[in-house]
Amino acid sequence: MTENIIDLKKITVEFKDGENQVQAVKNVDLQVEKGDIYGIVGYSGAGKSTLVRVINLLQKPTAGEVHINKQDLLQLKPVELRQARTKIGMIFQHFNLMKSRTILGNVEYPLLKTKLSKSERTKRATELLKLVGLEQRKNDYPRQLSGGQKQRVAIARALANNPDILISDEATSALDPKTTLSILNLLKQLNETLGLTIVLITHEMQAVKEICNHVAVMQKGEIVERGDIEEIFSTPKKKLTQEFINIATNVGPAVEKVTENPSFQQLTQKQQLVQLNFIGQSTEQPIISTLAKQFDVDGNILFANVEQLHEETLGFMILVLTGENQNITKAIQFLKDNQVRVKLLNKVDKKEVQA
Amino acid sequence: MASWFPNVIHMQSEFAQATWETVYMTLVSAIIAGVLGLATGIFLIASQPGGILEDSFIYGLLDKIVNLLRSIPFIILLAVIAPFTRYLVGTTIGTTAALVPLIIGIFPFYARQIQNALTEIDPGVIEAAQASGSSPTEIIFRVYLREGLPDIIRASILTIISLIGLTTMAGAIGSGGLGDIAISIGYARFENDVTIVAMLIILIMVFIVQFAGDWLAKRLEH
Repeated sequence: MTENIIDLKKITVEFKDGENQVQAVKNVDLQVEKGDIYGIVGYSGAGKSTLVRVINLLQKPTAGEVHINKQDLLQLKPVELRQARTKIGMIFQHFNLMKSRTILGNVEYPLLKTKLSKSERTKRATELLKLVGLEQRKNDYPRQLSGGQKQRVAIARALANNPDILISDEATSALDPKTTLSILNLLKQLNETLGLTIVLITHEMQAVKEICNHVAVMQKGEIVERGDIEEIFSTPKKKLTQEFINIATNVGPAVEKVTENPSFQQLTQKQQLVQLNFIGQSTEQPIISTLAKQFDVDGNILFANVEQLHEETLGFMILVLTGENQNITKAIQFLKDNQVRVKLLNKVDKKEVQA
Repeated sequence: MASWFPNVIHMQSEFAQATWETVYMTLVSAIIAGVLGLATGIFLIASQPGGILEDSFIYGLLDKIVNLLRSIPFIILLAVIAPFTRYLVGTTIGTTAALVPLIIGIFPFYARQIQNALTEIDPGVIEAAQASGSSPTEIIFRVYLREGLPDIIRASILTIISLIGLTTMAGAIGSGGLGDIAISIGYARFENDVTIVAMLIILIMVFIVQFAGDWLAKRLEH
């Protein structure tokens, strides 16, 4: 088993908000393996930013233990803590670059406290800028760059002291989809080439889907569900997780559109509106045509989407099944037997049929 | 000339002397109050709630001192601290004696200006520096003072201009300088031209400071 480079135990963070005591993080355990890309998903206010700030103690926990790289951070003296922080890079939603320094100056900043000479610092910073593809812009100032470029500079800065861990706090949330993808790809590349452990917090499951191996879903200061990415995407247990996945895979909006469309609210006795989730092998079988051949049930596809998660393929489909009632029942049983999750949509309560 | 400025024309050396005295009082008190005010402003920022060296006691204390000193009208401050001035300098008359009330009068103002200027700095930038392992001292010198430099310069211009104003008020208690001439000669003897010329010289000083400061602040902004 790989070692846990991040090991947070029973972390609680409380804030005083006027008279009220607010628990931003409640008794959370978080373990991240070395070399992993770990996503933490939640809506704003879920406590994910507070939780990741415990990793480098920008946020002191009210209770709990913080072990990073086998060091108990809470036991360190201030000077030792600052040394430990040089090994934990961090990038932010709004980049947080210094506008008074050039691009090169910003990347050199974390090196100012090291023993490197001026020319060594410049050399190191230039290398890093090359790594993120911005060495041409090194004498420009941050305001001359686009959002994506600023985030690349911030990544170079975060890597200056060869950290083991990179914390990404909503780093792509202020960027457009295309730039987001390029930043995520850069992070993935850094993970592979440098063995960097990445903790990525976001409110977009889409970002997690791209690069994370593990994911935790946070709500009201607690991790409500966690697991590896295929498992979470294929069999989400909590409603919130489902919600995030539906948004990421576009299934949510599609279901809404279909169920709100009047023509699908008045289906005949012989029709059934269903949502199918395929996992792994079942995506490779000609299931829909089997329904027609074997059960005399026609499938009219209204929506379909296939997501590739690492090795695993996930398929999502909304379709209207037309046929004799008993045949439809048989067909649905057949689908379930083939590891397809089936959700009946035209029942009043839209309740999921348990497999 | 003689008909427009009947008195000034005979007072050229006095005016040169007074101008120098005003420049001297402004410069010396600006330097000393500048250091004091900058330090106080930085301590205010660092010790404030959520600051890099959060300390509610120090913050509360400095905040109250600054507020208190800023509330005392300068003309009354001049009189109130006269014994202290005599204790420090040996006299209450002349430019050097005027430095004491000038410094005490202006540094809280400057400290507040510095605090405001540094408050403008994005807390995210400070957080990024902390995350990279910077110590509070490093953050003060490498982030606050550097990122805030254009605003610090603007605050300094404003302070120096106020200070020039205060030096003329110190003229009321015999500090010397252009304020002294304007009051004790121009006003007291109804020699209006003296007052007007003193004012013009002060206006020129203010313009120079404003112009040089704006230029510098603009140059440093990226």
